[in-house]
Amino acid sequence: MFQKQIMMRRVLYALIPIAALSVWLYGPRVLFILATSLVAATLTEFLFERAKGGKTSEAVLVSGTLLALSMPPAAPLWVVALASAFGVFMAKEVYGGFGRNIFNPAIAGRLFVYISFAALMGQSFYQPGSFGQAAGSLFGQPDAISGATPLAIMRDGGSVPILDLLLGTRSGAIGESSIVLLAAIALYLVATKTAQWRLIVSTLGSGAALCIILWMAGVPGALPPQSLLAGSFVFVAVLMSTDPVSAPKKKGAQWAYGSLIGASVIVIRSFSLFSEGTSFAVLLGNSFASMFDRMASQSAQKRKAKTEAAAKEAGK
Amino acid sequence: MKNSKTLAILKDNLWTNNPIFIQILGICSTLAVTNNLRNTVVMTLGVSFATALGSMTLSAMKDLIPRKVRMIIQVLVLSFFVILIDILLRAYLPEVSKQLGPYVGLIITNCILMGRAEAFAQANKPLLSFWDGLTSGLGYMAVLLAIAVVRELLGFGTLFGLRIMPEGFVTWTIMIMAPSAFFLAAMVMWWAKNKQAARAAKAKAPTQGGKA
Repeated sequence: MFQKQIMMRRVLYALIPIAALSVWLYGPRVLFILATSLVAATLTEFLFERAKGGKTSEAVLVSGTLLALSMPPAAPLWVVALASAFGVFMAKEVYGGFGRNIFNPAIAGRLFVYISFAALMGQSFYQPGSFGQAAGSLFGQPDAISGATPLAIMRDGGSVPILDLLLGTRSGAIGESSIVLLAAIALYLVATKTAQWRLIVSTLGSGAALCIILWMAGVPGALPPQSLLAGSFVFVAVLMSTDPVSAPKKKGAQWAYGSLIGASVIVIRSFSLFSEGTSFAVLLGNSFASMFDRMASQSAQKRKAKTEAAAKEAGK
Repeated sequence: MKNSKTLAILKDNLWTNNPIFIQILGICSTLAVTNNLRNTVVMTLGVSFATALGSMTLSAMKDLIPRKVRMIIQVLVLSFFVILIDILLRAYLPEVSKQLGPYVGLIITNCILMGRAEAFAQANKPLLSFWDGLTSGLGYMAVLLAIAVVRELLGFGTLFGLRIMPEGFVTWTIMIMAPSAFFLAAMVMWWAKNKQAARAAKAKAPTQGGKA
């Protein structure tokens, strides 16, 4: 039924450890969210592709998984289903399906529900630990106070232990928290050439640079450098900005794309009403991706023409 | 003969050449006013009224207008009707008038008005132009009302301010904001164009079969 896509499979394998860890963090509820998201995404794509006579891509499984991992753990299942179906429908199928989408479907779906149900989503975080029991029951209990995400805490001037940030034992979206795991996944994806290292490095690098500059300069609203480990910045840098379809293909364009995303994340985090800006940043990057590609290929052509002219000159 | 032409205009403006989903005119107001059914109804009635009467007036005086300044005259005549609407709203529906704010005055910039004046009233009789303007407004109204029903129902859980959705319904904030109209208008366009393309293909198929 699925179109075979080796790269997408590798991403799926890489996501298994994250899913496993998040079950430990937030309880069996995570599995329901994952299943809902996958079913909604696959069904949407299947219905469309059947009408068009195409094949369902395995990429839709990646989108569905990524979307589930970016939801808060107590998100209602209907919200997850809506986000997943909307993302695949509006950000992927209307553009013509796999390989033609401008925007990352998982991010589009996530943002749609985050904007629509801001209050509901904001209250859907809870304390992680021992299969969700840290929050009171196996299925977790949303708690606006103890569930405050590290970014919100830092915004209010508090601090969060670095070890918690690294291991991921802090509240947040389902799959975004463990920096150690994400680093391992990044290595695996880069080693198997599934993800482009330039995208990861440029996103992380520009974000870190801007964050540290703002912090050093003492700009009001600037967050401490530890904030780079909080929120979904690393998750997005490793898994979202590297989406092979919506990211640019040329070398120079990839540097520009990553830098734009990283810098926008920090700007939105520090100066906007939203405490997290990674989704906006990725969509912003997506919309510039093809322009960056075009600029890169134009400058390459110019350079080529120049060297050719120089060669001709030398030949004379 | 005469009857068939009025019918053809009606069909053209409501479906085959609908101002919103085929000509893509008047999109600003589609984004701005459709989060609330009452405002949408008032707005679309206003546009229909101004287009119809404006087209009729311009058609009646078309031989008197020097060609080089016709656009200026058209704007002048149309804005007369728009100002009329604005004054009427302020007098009888002050609340709606306040909510619509600048959009009533901006009816003059709605491309449907100028479009019909240029494309139709220039070359047709006053009564027919009136009919054309009116049906264009109705075509605009039909699409906007459809969008407004979805937006108000999901965004506020109400229709015309009356609660429809059950108590526990979580409202979709994005439906109140302009971006949702982009999605919805695009979906309407997509649906309509698909429908028309399918019909065209069907109409073509038998003749092709006959040839083969």
